Amino acid sequence: MMETIEYTDRGQFFSGHVACAGCVEALSLRVILNTVGKDAVAVVPPSCTAVICGSYPHSAANIPVFHTTLESGAASASGVKRALVAQGKNDTTVLCLAGDGGTYDIGLQALSSAAERNEDILYVCFDNEGYMNTGGQKSSSTPLSAVTGSTPAGKTTRKKNMVEILAAHRIPYIATASPSDLNDMEAKVKKAKGLRGTKVLIVLIPCLPGWGVADNSAVKVARLAVETGVFPLFEVEGGIDYKMNVTTRSRPVQEYLSTQKRYKHLTAENIATLQADVDDDWQRLVNRCG
Amino acid sequence: MNLMNRKNMQLLSGNHAVSWAARLCRPDVAPLYPITPQTPILEKITEFHAEGLMKTELLTPESEHSAMAACISASLTGARVFTATSSQGLLLQHELLHYATGARAAIVMCNVNRTPASPWGFWPDQLDSLSQRDTGWVQFYSESPQESLDSVIMAFAIAESVGVPTMVCHDAFYVSHSMEPVEIPDQAMVDDFLPKFDPARKLDTAVGASFGAPLDQNTWRRSRMDLAESLAAVTDETIRVGEAWGKLTGRSYGPLERYRCDDAEMVIVTMGSMCGTVRDAVDTMRENGKRVGLLKVRQFRPLPASMLRDALAGVPVVMVLDRNYSPGTGGILHQELKAVLSGMADGPKVHGLLAGIGGANVSSETIDRWVRDYQNAEPKPESQWVE
Amino acid sequence: MNKPQSPLWTNSTSEARKTGTWRSALPDYQNIPSPCLGACPVDGEIATWLRQVTQIDHYGAWLTLMENNPFPAIAGRICHHPCQTACNRVQLDETVGICSLERFVGDKAITEGWSIPKPEVERTESIAIIGGGPAGLSAAYQLRRRGYQVTIYESREQLGGLLRYGIPAYRLDNSIVDAEVGRITDLGVKVHLGVEIMNSAALAKLKEDYSAVFLATGASRPKALPGLDYSQPYVQDSADFLAITNGGKTCELGENLLVIGGGSAAMDVARTARRLGRHVTVLTLESDENLPAQRTEVDEAREENVEFICGAMLKDVNSTKDGLILTCARVDFQPGAAKGQFTTTQIEGSEFELRVDAIIPAIGQDADLARWQDVVPGDKGLIDTDQSWRTQTEGIFAAGDVASMARFVTEAVGQAKHAAVAIARYVSPDEAKDPPPLLAEAKFNVINTAYHSPDARHNQENLKVEVRLQSFDEVQIALSAEQAIAEAGRCFSCGTCIDCDNCYLYCPDMAISKLEGGGYVVNLDFCKGCGLCVAECPTGSIHMQEDLPS
Repeated sequence: MMETIEYTDRGQFFSGHVACAGCVEALSLRVILNTVGKDAVAVVPPSCTAVICGSYPHSAANIPVFHTTLESGAASASGVKRALVAQGKNDTTVLCLAGDGGTYDIGLQALSSAAERNEDILYVCFDNEGYMNTGGQKSSSTPLSAVTGSTPAGKTTRKKNMVEILAAHRIPYIATASPSDLNDMEAKVKKAKGLRGTKVLIVLIPCLPGWGVADNSAVKVARLAVETGVFPLFEVEGGIDYKMNVTTRSRPVQEYLSTQKRYKHLTAENIATLQADVDDDWQRLVNRCG
Repeated sequence: MNLMNRKNMQLLSGNHAVSWAARLCRPDVAPLYPITPQTPILEKITEFHAEGLMKTELLTPESEHSAMAACISASLTGARVFTATSSQGLLLQHELLHYATGARAAIVMCNVNRTPASPWGFWPDQLDSLSQRDTGWVQFYSESPQESLDSVIMAFAIAESVGVPTMVCHDAFYVSHSMEPVEIPDQAMVDDFLPKFDPARKLDTAVGASFGAPLDQNTWRRSRMDLAESLAAVTDETIRVGEAWGKLTGRSYGPLERYRCDDAEMVIVTMGSMCGTVRDAVDTMRENGKRVGLLKVRQFRPLPASMLRDALAGVPVVMVLDRNYSPGTGGILHQELKAVLSGMADGPKVHGLLAGIGGANVSSETIDRWVRDYQNAEPKPESQWVE
Repeated sequence: MNKPQSPLWTNSTSEARKTGTWRSALPDYQNIPSPCLGACPVDGEIATWLRQVTQIDHYGAWLTLMENNPFPAIAGRICHHPCQTACNRVQLDETVGICSLERFVGDKAITEGWSIPKPEVERTESIAIIGGGPAGLSAAYQLRRRGYQVTIYESREQLGGLLRYGIPAYRLDNSIVDAEVGRITDLGVKVHLGVEIMNSAALAKLKEDYSAVFLATGASRPKALPGLDYSQPYVQDSADFLAITNGGKTCELGENLLVIGGGSAAMDVARTARRLGRHVTVLTLESDENLPAQRTEVDEAREENVEFICGAMLKDVNSTKDGLILTCARVDFQPGAAKGQFTTTQIEGSEFELRVDAIIPAIGQDADLARWQDVVPGDKGLIDTDQSWRTQTEGIFAAGDVASMARFVTEAVGQAKHAAVAIARYVSPDEAKDPPPLLAEAKFNVINTAYHSPDARHNQENLKVEVRLQSFDEVQIALSAEQAIAEAGRCFSCGTCIDCDNCYLYCPDMAISKLEGGGYVVNLDFCKGCGLCVAECPTGSIHMQEDLPS
């Protein structure tokens, strides 16, 4: 039978936002906000999400959104949560919706601390692998060899492994998600929502202008990221129990790379290196899953 | 009179007096990060909390920066919020101090004034908070543990009614670690004085309104005009709250305190712990027939300009003692006072002394000497390094 | 004081912003034909009824099937299923087993006793149909359900033609023919059995008595194999053989039989003879890979121990008291450009002998045209017709094997359907036209296969060979309901919206709304024209159209 998408749109995310046409960060927001529902508050550091949820006097979200500073996402979310708890609203979900700059780079300190305190927040990182809202510069999430505005010849170092960093904090739940697998994304949001403590969801967001992807293709590129093993879908519970949601790789990394202008310059050798890295990472992940 | 016989008197350091004030104000949320010499505030609060004497949600994040970030968002969620810091911590918060004001977060923070590095030092100096003067925070400078306690309670009343964040500053060690008998007000009285925080707008799932979204130029300008309007109301609010507190406790406060300034030929203007020394020096000089008075600036931000002009109208000579040095400018209070008094027909001659920078000791006798040195001197535009 | 705080809280939703102005293209919902539809001789809405099967709406599926073909149970057994040959799914794994599903639905209708809805209006115009085989019955059905008065003239004693007399019971049992033919006559079709329209005068008389006449007499005259003496007792034509054996009579030819021909009829003869205990050899001009019969028929014949000699021809027959000694020769077979065309060259020195008791030639049949030559002329063995199946004589139409070389049951059914529309338009000009020609087909590349996991076909199983050879029981065992639903679920629904909600749920701008009763509408205020809905449509039923600001 054909696979169908199951999430329900509860009217939590509004039309008229200013995401680029075809932006899957907006799509992922739609899924997440509708899955989390009305009893929620979101904290948003500067990012594409901040632009999408704004701008004044309009809001694209049907829940209160607090726009905070770039490095403060997790700390601000903690503050909201504690204030709600002080008011007896223990069940209200507090979301932090950040980009990879606000997560892997400048926001890592606050996130690490919130995770260490096991603050009861659901932290979502929309990982478009760079500072795309400022026009596309590298972050520590940018992968090896990718061209950005600040790595014109391709990045010379690897992408930071945020899941392992977070797992070391032994928080209740970490998961990766992709806009190509909305049922998986919905299930993970639901699961995270039902857990107390710090939950982190890292969502891969192929950025149309930043990666050089056609307007209608971000889902396809995200799907290739999953199918090639570049971005495995998996969950970590308690920082220890790893579980892969997609256990097979069906395509070579080249098929993923060739969809994006940021990899246009790659040589066969570069591609082989990237494939070898993916192979290694995949095996390491498989081993962790026991 | 034996102070210890009065109701609820305890021998407290300035920091513990602040902790007591925080406890009495029943903050919903208190994010705290340790730093010398603020740490006793944190420790006393966590002790109260551990003993079940405070129901506050305590956060102990990884930095003052995250502490302030949590303060702002908690405040906007409708929580009464307290925090405390000092020096490097305050400076680390700089970005968020601006953010808090723009967000109209009614946070109350105690800053223990300490030298900013480098070089490293841990001594009384007000440059840390004075250099935050453009962030829009209301700033009070306290002279004693009792005043620090009273000021924190009054700061909540002011911050929450005007909708601006408020800082109560006291000097490292001279106030923070000095013990004195402090009257701890009745909880019921404080509860009555400080009703539950209930802001008109907050992050409320029942309403769904959002704060902080990017906006256009004109709306940003308008937000500053609104802020200016609120800040313009602070001085009156300080007076109103200070008088109300005085009726309850016998201790009234205002933006300024004039001490033996009537008929003074020279008025010494200063802030914080220096006021105690000056007060003592003034008493001695008055006994010796010198007509010298003290003008204590308690509310530095917003600067009560009209009140300062009124207070110093007809005074021949003013000597400003700045326990801070703004590199390239000099004493901050000196410069600000000159600007405030500028254009007064009967304005005083203003001397600016960089006194006790880095916590260097300033005794009553030293002040007496400076009065003699500067009483008849022609003022210079620059602040003067003195010992 | 309690001055209201900052006014900088949002006070409206982003819907105030009409981001549809960004757009330069707009999605357009338009179903386009699936390749199976394009290939289907009756224009069956295959994707539609397969979907209905997955929704366990078997009655709905049957009605959809019946729109174009009154014989789903029959076609589900014997159709040459060009739909499956065209199926896009072969590029993912295997084609969808459409035929077995059609049989499933057809059988369900028979089991449940579903009948065809009566015509909504009765019309006075009358149509005579000559020939009660697949074409004649298809036309009768299509005309009668539109309310026309239909009379069938059939020369044999029962309706069904090839279906009844030409296809053995192990492929198509007469009970199935009875059920599906009976449903048509139950609509109120007059039937004259045992009546042959022998000549032009009789045809002209019918034309006067009726508003229109439809000729569907099929191909009833066996092609003759040159050099073979059909008058000999050891020669029996395949049509006669099948009519006799389908009628329950036995074969009186000897033990060892030679069947000549590689088509379906040859397979039917060979396999029938095997069931009657005969030893059978099939001799074909065509090489094995070029046999015109369906591959499953050839495979099943081999399973049943039919021997094949492919790429060879009969040269001479020598009758002896111990049987026939046949001289045969190998040929080099070269298929031609068109179906049925080929060249053969005898290979020098390749002669060989066969010993059999009788010969059954099964090399095809021709239409009998001579009798009506004065009224409806024809040449090349077919009545001349135009694209609407009109003969050169006004008011007379012809389709099926009498007018076409297509020579498949469902081709005849489809032609007769189109002819019926033309007839209706002729007798009653207010009738709806035949639908316009189909748009381009939905190709495999418009299918987003991410939503279709590889999944092997659920095949019908066959009876065991030992069982088959002892009876005329149906060889193919029908799919179970579970298998049928699973198999129908393999359909890509190429080009057909299936209300899956992907477009609605993938839109990052919430610019697509669901319509009550199915379908979607694009909100022009907010559609930015990204095309994600098109890219993620699993069936290729949405298309981007340029939409520049005016």
